Amino acid sequence: MAHRLLVRRMWTLSVKDIRCLSTSTAASSSFSTSLQSAKTRVSFLSPSRTLPHTLPLTSRREVSFNVQDNEDFTERVINSELPVLVDFHAQWCGPCKILGPRLEKAIAKQKGRVAMAKVDIDDHTDLAIEYGVSAVPTVIAMRGGDVVDHFVGIKDDDELDSFVSKVIGQ
Amino acid sequence: MAALCRGRHRWKRTHCLRVFTRNLTAKYDYDLVVIGGGSGGLACSKEAAQLGQKVAVLDYVEPSAKGTKWGLGGTCVNVGCIPKKLMHQAALLGTAVKDAKKYGWQISGTVCHDWPTMAEAIQNHVRSLNWGHRVQLQDKKVKYLNIKGSLLDEHTVKGLTKAGKEIPGAMEHGITNVALECAGFLTGIGLDTTVMVRSIALRGFDQQMAGLVTDYMEAYGTKFAWKCVPKRVDKLSSGALQVTWTNTQTGAEQKDTYDSLLWAVGRAPETKALGLDKLGIQLNKETGKLIVGADESTSVPNIYAFGDISEGRPELTPTAIKAGKLLARRLAGQSTELMDYDNVATTVFTPLEYGCVGLSEEEAEKRHGKDGIEIYHAFYKPLEFTVAERDASQCYIKVVCERGGDQKILGLHFTGPNAGEVTQGFAMGFQCGATYSHLLQTVGIHPTCAEEVVKVSITKRSGLDATVTGC
Repeated sequence: MAHRLLVRRMWTLSVKDIRCLSTSTAASSSFSTSLQSAKTRVSFLSPSRTLPHTLPLTSRREVSFNVQDNEDFTERVINSELPVLVDFHAQWCGPCKILGPRLEKAIAKQKGRVAMAKVDIDDHTDLAIEYGVSAVPTVIAMRGGDVVDHFVGIKDDDELDSFVSKVIGQ
Repeated sequence: MAALCRGRHRWKRTHCLRVFTRNLTAKYDYDLVVIGGGSGGLACSKEAAQLGQKVAVLDYVEPSAKGTKWGLGGTCVNVGCIPKKLMHQAALLGTAVKDAKKYGWQISGTVCHDWPTMAEAIQNHVRSLNWGHRVQLQDKKVKYLNIKGSLLDEHTVKGLTKAGKEIPGAMEHGITNVALECAGFLTGIGLDTTVMVRSIALRGFDQQMAGLVTDYMEAYGTKFAWKCVPKRVDKLSSGALQVTWTNTQTGAEQKDTYDSLLWAVGRAPETKALGLDKLGIQLNKETGKLIVGADESTSVPNIYAFGDISEGRPELTPTAIKAGKLLARRLAGQSTELMDYDNVATTVFTPLEYGCVGLSEEEAEKRHGKDGIEIYHAFYKPLEFTVAERDASQCYIKVVCERGGDQKILGLHFTGPNAGEVTQGFAMGFQCGATYSHLLQTVGIHPTCAEEVVKVSITKRSGLDATVTGC
């Protein structure tokens, strides 16, 4: 168990190091040096093959979830290490009910490389207004707390796949 | 809830000083604060913001005893016009299904209505409107605060954050158009409904027309308890409600059991909650509504009121919206135009709809004397009722005109299907000062119910049978 946790933390750190290239504090550099040996064991490109232990842990972290409140949004979307698609939808919106399952499918295909946060705009009106949502469905892609892409309205499966791939950076 | 407006007037000195004073001292937080995010409040605040004012809207819905709340948009959007019209439509569709069989549609078995399906569909639409209003306020840069507002003084609004009318009624106590409309659609979707009326129905409306409306409803299946006053309501062990009432004509006491009770006895303004009593704002003792001037001002400077909360005004959405917009323009110094409350067309959406614009026959008689007016009328039959074998006894048109001169139209009344749609066009003619000869010059669209309006020729005075045939 301890072994698995240690490996997971190093996995997380290595991802962060790769994304935040500009930061170079003493703490992170000391981590990065100690990670050199770990990196040889951890193959960033195909984690599922070299480290089967990490996969159940990453998939246990929910890939698709409903946002509960502002705190939850901050924690699981803004501070997420993964890119997150935020699906702003409403109960009264017909197209949202069509797009929802399509998004889930597109996310599932990525096997944990991207997460989806679902926001009901009637329950979280202020949040929706803050992100400039006017029509629904609106999908916003966030990475490192920043909005990197978005779209409004329905998209078909192929369009969604390419949107998601672009967000992940493939 | 209606809107209460406050404005600061520091800019009234000169236009150019306005910008300077706001930047230099910023003594006040807002140029305009609106309490009430309903038809009037939203229209006023958006107009003011568009004219460059710094505006805030306070809208708060106190949860009912059962915890029911609703969103931004006020009475009309949440518990008024919008759900009313949709439920009225649901009932009309029920009647249409019955008519359909006569037109050849093969509908097997009985068609029944599912309340939860309708309620959810309507509530979903209402929620989309709540959202739409929220977005609009954001776009127009109006600050929205979901807090309960009250007035501390003529420049200060206090806000409190925190902590009705949804029972499908089987019995109503009331005489308002709302009461009749509710009873109408409840009957239409298949519920056994009774209306209890203390004195008359549709007070303030033309009484002949009101009679036609209620006659149709009685034929349609709604029960009426005329001239009755409720004395007490007891909850039985079965959960049903036993209502005891007095028949004021016979003096007898009667009682009966109902599943639900709906009190449709008019609106009571929340003047205490608003803190109006402390500010000494003049209210009408009977209704509790604010007494306002022609410019929507109250007895306290800087405080204005319009919409349902103001005394003597029609309780309608379009008048609240227009009054709000004009007030915003006046406060911003852009115009001096006052709201014209005359010639406002309206429609009662009872099972047989009633649309009207202008004076009732009683009011016209009062103002011009019986000899000073000429009334043209007609009982007509909508073409669609023929194949459907529906009774059209209450489908009627009345045009009240001045007797002399050009015979200016004083009032126009129509009962029949789509009365709202029919009346709207004629309201414009009314606004332009239409006369009876204008009506005669207008060629009708055939075959419609509306064309019967331009064809009226039989006068009440002649005593002739007013029944007209289509072709």
